[in-house]
Amino acid sequence: MADEKLNLIKEELNRAKEDLGDLEMYIKEFSSFLPLAVCTVNPIEIIININQVFQALTGYDSLEINGEHLAKIFLEKEKIKNLLNLTRKRGKVRTKELVLILKDRKEIPVNVSVSIRKDRDGNFIGYFLALFDITEIKKFREELEGKVKIRTKELEDSRKALINMLEDVEEAREKTEEEKNKTLAVITNLADGLLVFDATNNLSIVNPQAEEFFKVKSKDLIDKSILELTKIPEFSPLVRILGKEIKEIYRRELTVRKDLTLEMSTVSLIREKEKLGTLIILHNITREKLVEKMKTEFVSLSAHQLRTPLSSIKWALKMLLDGDIGKITEEQRDFIKKTYQSNERMIALINDLLDVTRIEEGKYLYNPVFTQIENIIQSVINYYQREIKRKKIKFEFKKAQKKFPKLKIDVEKMKVAIGNLLDNAIRYTQVGGTVTFFLDCVKNKVEFSIHDTGIGISIDQQERIFTKFFRGANAVQMETEGTGLGLYIAKNIIEAHNGKIWFKSNPKKGTTFYFNLPVEKEFEEFLKKF
Amino acid sequence: MTKKILIIEDEKIMLELLQKKLTKEGYEVLVARDGKEGLEKMRKKNPNLILLDIIMPKMGGFEVMEEMNKDKKFKKIPVIVVSNSGQPVELDRAQKLGAKDWLIKTEFDPQEVLDKVVEQIGK
Repeated sequence: MADEKLNLIKEELNRAKEDLGDLEMYIKEFSSFLPLAVCTVNPIEIIININQVFQALTGYDSLEINGEHLAKIFLEKEKIKNLLNLTRKRGKVRTKELVLILKDRKEIPVNVSVSIRKDRDGNFIGYFLALFDITEIKKFREELEGKVKIRTKELEDSRKALINMLEDVEEAREKTEEEKNKTLAVITNLADGLLVFDATNNLSIVNPQAEEFFKVKSKDLIDKSILELTKIPEFSPLVRILGKEIKEIYRRELTVRKDLTLEMSTVSLIREKEKLGTLIILHNITREKLVEKMKTEFVSLSAHQLRTPLSSIKWALKMLLDGDIGKITEEQRDFIKKTYQSNERMIALINDLLDVTRIEEGKYLYNPVFTQIENIIQSVINYYQREIKRKKIKFEFKKAQKKFPKLKIDVEKMKVAIGNLLDNAIRYTQVGGTVTFFLDCVKNKVEFSIHDTGIGISIDQQERIFTKFFRGANAVQMETEGTGLGLYIAKNIIEAHNGKIWFKSNPKKGTTFYFNLPVEKEFEEFLKKF
Repeated sequence: MTKKILIIEDEKIMLELLQKKLTKEGYEVLVARDGKEGLEKMRKKNPNLILLDIIMPKMGGFEVMEEMNKDKKFKKIPVIVVSNSGQPVELDRAQKLGAKDWLIKTEFDPQEVLDKVVEQIGK
């Protein structure tokens, strides 16, 4: 019986042994499929068992590693110790990253999970460690992080760039604002009046000085068209000069009140060929005008006073020459004749001086009427007929075969201007030469030219030809008489009529003086339509 | 009958010269040194023609003509203005007041003045 029992137990035991062996095989095989490296560690942290994956991962086989201290395979000895202690307390610690030292001394990152081992009575008998190679993951993560870093940097950079741009924009805006303020301050504090019309000829800026000049308020004027402005009495003289198109005007006088005279100029505001509007500058010339007037009066009076004794001298000498005072010798006659001629020159000079002052007065007092220009030219030509005959000059008045519009001119002054030009042409052309007067009308301008075959103007003196008192050297040689005021006076008169004068000259061959006068449509007519 | 010419002129030398020239031509010449004196001489002597300056002390040439226009008899006496200046406005005014001619002293000489006188009243 006892043997039977013993045999039974032995059988049981063998069966249990076999079962156990099967189980062990099973676990080993099973664990060999696990991708996880696992090792078993006893309570004093000695490795007692590893699986195949552990072998493959670390390069150690069981014989080499079993019995070794766990710390041997980790880089951070302290960390693994702490990890185990923590596991003792909690029973389980998951995925801590540590650095594993392989057999070939290579170091790789692993995730370590630890749990404690207990026997069937629950006593602590050691640890299970599961290691998971995270080299690839880490590499991937690092790559990812790298990419993220690069991307982040890119984003950061573009953010910075954006901020820079924003700062630049802000700076530019501030600058613009500052410039605008500066410009506004200039406009506001300018002693000159300023008006700005926009591209559609509506008034867009009126500075305080302009308000003061016209005794108006900017708010009543802004955005008004030129036509609407004609209805404001203070503005109508200005608008009359400007016209509905806002003409180009340069230094035109405008008498606003008895005690206020302005000089106005228009400036087209053009950027990249596009007209943005028109700037009108109003300069107060009341004081200058007064000074000018005083000067003119002074010169006028002096010239007048000078003429009185000159006429006495002229008359006395003339009577001596005519024998009214008694008989004189030939020698006496010769001297008196010369004295008489000098006196005549003096009279001519004084007359021209008076003309100049009258011209300068004329800038203010000039009163034009609509006139047929051909008649005026003809009367000037008639005046010079005698001189033309005397010098045997071939003279012709060539008038275009068309109807000429009436021009708004100051007849007396225009006669002086044309007379001065014709006088020069005749005076400085040799006996038997040619003088031709051309008249034509092109578009809205009447064009005049006076051509001669005279002595011409030397190139180096052409620039000064319209200067007061200037006479060309060859002109002085040919004719001692002459004051150098004729062209100056002519230019002033023509410009007072908004005309233009210029010339072309070939020394020794001749000169052509050109001038034109605008055909002015009566603005009053235009205004009546509204 | 000798024709009488009254010269109203403040400039002594001009007066003397004209007087000499006209007397030589056979006219009876009366002189006055200003407008007021001129009007008095007019009343007393009844001249056939007047040579009149414009800018003068006491009474100027324009005022003289205005005074003459108020008097039927004086109104008929021809006036030739002999002046230093000759601006268009002045010429206009003189014409309206009835002046026959306007001579600018620096542009005419005594002979030409004489010619104008002859033109008006004959020798």
